[in-house]
Amino acid sequence: MEQIRKNQLTKKDTQKRLMKRLSAPHPAALILTMSVIALILLMGVSVSIGVSDISWRTILDALFAFDETHTSHVILRDLRIPRILAASLVGAFLAVSGVIMQALTLNPLASPSIMGVTSGSAFMIAIAFAFYPQSNYYQLILWSFAGAALGAGMVFTIGTFSKRGLTPVKLALAGAAVSALLQSLSTIIALHFNVARDISFWYAGGVAGVRMESVRIVSMIALIGLIIAFALSRSLTIMGLGEEMAKGLGIKIGWIKFVSTLIVLILTGAAVSIAGTVGFIGLIIPHISKKVMGMDYRWVIPSSAVFGAMLLVLADIAARTINQPYETPVGALTAMIGVPFFLVLARKEGRG
Amino acid sequence: MTHVDDHSPLKDKVFKRSLFLFLFLLFLLAVLILISLGSGHLSLTPADIWLTLTGSGTGAQELLLYQFRLPRIILAVLVGIGMASAGAIFQGVTQNGLADPGIIGIHSGSGFFVVLFLYLVSLSQDQPPVWANIGLPFVAFAGGTTAALLIYVLAWKEGITPVRLVLVGIGINAGFSAALLLIQLRMSESDFNRAIIWLSGSIWNASWATVLRLIPWILIFLPLALYKARILSVMQLGEEMAVGLGTAVEKERVKLLIIAVALSAASVSVAGGIAFVGLVAPHLARRLVGGKFQRMIPVSAMIGAILIVLSDSIARTVLAPSEIPVGLIVSVIGAPYFIYLLITIKE
Amino acid sequence: MKKLVLSTLSLTLFLAACNGNEEETVNEPADEGVEEGVTEEDGEETAETESRVLTDGLGNDVEIPENPEAIIASYLEDYLLALDVIPAAQWSISDGEGVQFYLQDELSDVPTIPYDLPYEAVMEFEPDFIMIRDQLEQDMVDQYNLIAPTYVLNASPTDWRETMREIGTVLDHEEAAETVIDEYDTRAEETASLVEEQADGESAAAIWMIDTSLFVVHPERSSGAVLYGDAGFEIPSVVDQLSDDADWAAVSLEELAEMEVDHLFLISDDEESSLTEDRLWQNIPAVQNDAVYTFDSQSAWLYYGPIANEQVLGFIEDSIQ
Repeated sequence: MEQIRKNQLTKKDTQKRLMKRLSAPHPAALILTMSVIALILLMGVSVSIGVSDISWRTILDALFAFDETHTSHVILRDLRIPRILAASLVGAFLAVSGVIMQALTLNPLASPSIMGVTSGSAFMIAIAFAFYPQSNYYQLILWSFAGAALGAGMVFTIGTFSKRGLTPVKLALAGAAVSALLQSLSTIIALHFNVARDISFWYAGGVAGVRMESVRIVSMIALIGLIIAFALSRSLTIMGLGEEMAKGLGIKIGWIKFVSTLIVLILTGAAVSIAGTVGFIGLIIPHISKKVMGMDYRWVIPSSAVFGAMLLVLADIAARTINQPYETPVGALTAMIGVPFFLVLARKEGRG
Repeated sequence: MTHVDDHSPLKDKVFKRSLFLFLFLLFLLAVLILISLGSGHLSLTPADIWLTLTGSGTGAQELLLYQFRLPRIILAVLVGIGMASAGAIFQGVTQNGLADPGIIGIHSGSGFFVVLFLYLVSLSQDQPPVWANIGLPFVAFAGGTTAALLIYVLAWKEGITPVRLVLVGIGINAGFSAALLLIQLRMSESDFNRAIIWLSGSIWNASWATVLRLIPWILIFLPLALYKARILSVMQLGEEMAVGLGTAVEKERVKLLIIAVALSAASVSVAGGIAFVGLVAPHLARRLVGGKFQRMIPVSAMIGAILIVLSDSIARTVLAPSEIPVGLIVSVIGAPYFIYLLITIKE
Repeated sequence: MKKLVLSTLSLTLFLAACNGNEEETVNEPADEGVEEGVTEEDGEETAETESRVLTDGLGNDVEIPENPEAIIASYLEDYLLALDVIPAAQWSISDGEGVQFYLQDELSDVPTIPYDLPYEAVMEFEPDFIMIRDQLEQDMVDQYNLIAPTYVLNASPTDWRETMREIGTVLDHEEAAETVIDEYDTRAEETASLVEEQADGESAAAIWMIDTSLFVVHPERSSGAVLYGDAGFEIPSVVDQLSDDADWAAVSLEELAEMEVDHLFLISDDEESSLTEDRLWQNIPAVQNDAVYTFDSQSAWLYYGPIANEQVLGFIEDSIQ
């Protein structure tokens, strides 16, 4: 007994030492603080841009001296602020689930949109629209979670059964095939039940018209997910060194994998249920934050959340301004940024 | 892969087997076509079809059969042939069993160009001029070539590896799809819907005119593909071996790619982006007759034709009188097969 | 290989079976009709002494049959009914579940045809004349022409008067068409004077709400033309700016909140929408003045044509009185 406890202590000790060695370079905290400030500024800019530009004065008034009969105030409070909060939350969710997926699969191409998770969500939402048109927002979120699980489940099953597991190219192809299948089925449903217009939104993606109520629901569910993700970051870092080693250091790999997968589904499902399919954020951001922050997930995960939020807030500003007064689907814009990035990764990856 | 020497006594046996198989598939296709001729919103009994084909049907039956169903079925056959043989060549050139022109962005490249072209034409004139329709295959070809070129250039890093090619292709596909979405939203609503249906792959408005637009492309490029099939087989032996046997690999590769892009783009221009045919058909063909492209391309073309005719029959009967774009049915059939391949493939 | 043969064979059988089932239900009436159609055509050729030839919207010369009996004019049913012509089939979406509900008093017995007019569905009705509302590819018109003479309208589908006159000309009911327009205009003047009396110089907008999405009618199209052109309401500036190439342009709640509109005609099927409880909604002048009038999406607001427009005039009168 004594022996075992001692052994465990040393395991903990080794873990600590390992984390120390892996821990990010000194400016990590500084970078994170600065990006949080940048994010807040960006959100401020975003709030002021819209059909009618609203001055900083009015924004401050709306926040601190709210007047319900003042239309600009209500617009800010009820429309623009929820929208921007939604953009930053969705960005953060997608980026963090991308980080976790890449950590779990040790696969640089893993990300919600490439792995068919987002099209799974959209597929289930299509089913909900067609068969249960009376679904309220809570039910829609549940459908979306179920869909995320379906898409991810299909891709993972392909990975489990295939020889040599999920290589990057197999993962990408499996994702493409699963997405193609689910999208075809959704289109058939949409055409047959004449809900194409309701569903096309979920494919184009966007945060226009998001209301505070839905932001509140989703953020509560997903913030829990984010917090658990931060809690797991230590184990993920050690798992990044290889499963054998992590096992040796006393990490319950099966358990961690289960919880992380659950978090990925919750975060992605929540993101899709408010913003539809917004691609590539979960692919780009993890790579960028790993470049900046090193391999320590205790820094990588929070910074991914912040960077992801910044990217989507920025993309959303572009979506509103490019073709005023019409909205450009934000999913198409993130794809425009994401594709070149994916290509660079693909060039690196395709050695074999 | 078994490489059979030209003078091997095996050759006869293999050849006979392939020929038998080809004839069997041809028979199957003929049966399917007959069934397909009879199925649809208005149905015809086999007796009606027989009477009409022998020239003693009613005028309306003749109209239905000769002007509506037959061009549609022939178009399905041609599109199947074009896409499947293009897929076979792509697989041969990239030496990757998973290189479907629909997945690696050739189709969305063609589609992007076609939709852009239609959009620009609709901007400049009230009515689309006559040449617009005839020009479509060329525009699609330009789009497919652009996509292929982009993939080739971006995947080039001291040579091409099959894996990198497919990954880059997936990226190109995503890029073109996003660009497509951006133009589509600038279109008016009716054009938008039409574009969506067209992009999902649809041949419901087939007519002899559409058949005539596609036929020259198939007639020119399919024989070329068959003619080049030997070189494709040689290339499978590995680059060094191929060079040793006197094949200018890089040059031939480019020629073959042009042929494949032409076949697939012309098909896309009339039928929209039907994915998975170019993947499933060659794969089944390889299982049935082995990896020699001289035998594999014709068999794969047959399978492609069968697949599309079958899917189209389903597409117009399940929800009749409404129709489902045929590409969606093909995806629902093809994607699971593709997934099965992914699981079993040994890289 | 054996497996493949087996599976393809079973699929073939499956298809054959599908086909067989259908024969029992569809075949007989279709067959019967098919023969009738032919004899009718034959009869026409001899009967036509002087046929009229008109140039249609694609520039084709179309021979217009005399007194066509089975007309397919999808989404033009309103105009036909105004001329007392009953079409052979009526426009529909979603497998015939969605039709133009406001016309169902006259059209309830008319069978439906899918909105995209599949060739075989058109054949089924053995039309002797086909009229097409929107510009179409020549290839498709050629195919329809094989079934019956097909005429693509020259008139812009967004101008109902022009469309009415052209349909009148094509069907040789020119005078009736003019009467329809005149009667409508007289009726519109009544509404206009009522608006002048009750709401002089006030603005109005028609908003179509689907779930949480909002659309505003184009000021010169569909019920917009009635609201502004005929009844004489002022156009709010936001509506003017949004004049996109769509009958109903998407509008954000933010734009709606700033619209400063006095009368709001709300088309919505959702009786207890969360929107109407919204603070932003409450700040709209029309809401504060209790001048929001709600209609369901099956009413005439979303459509084109003299009947639709006349019903809209009635709605406007009932609302402001």
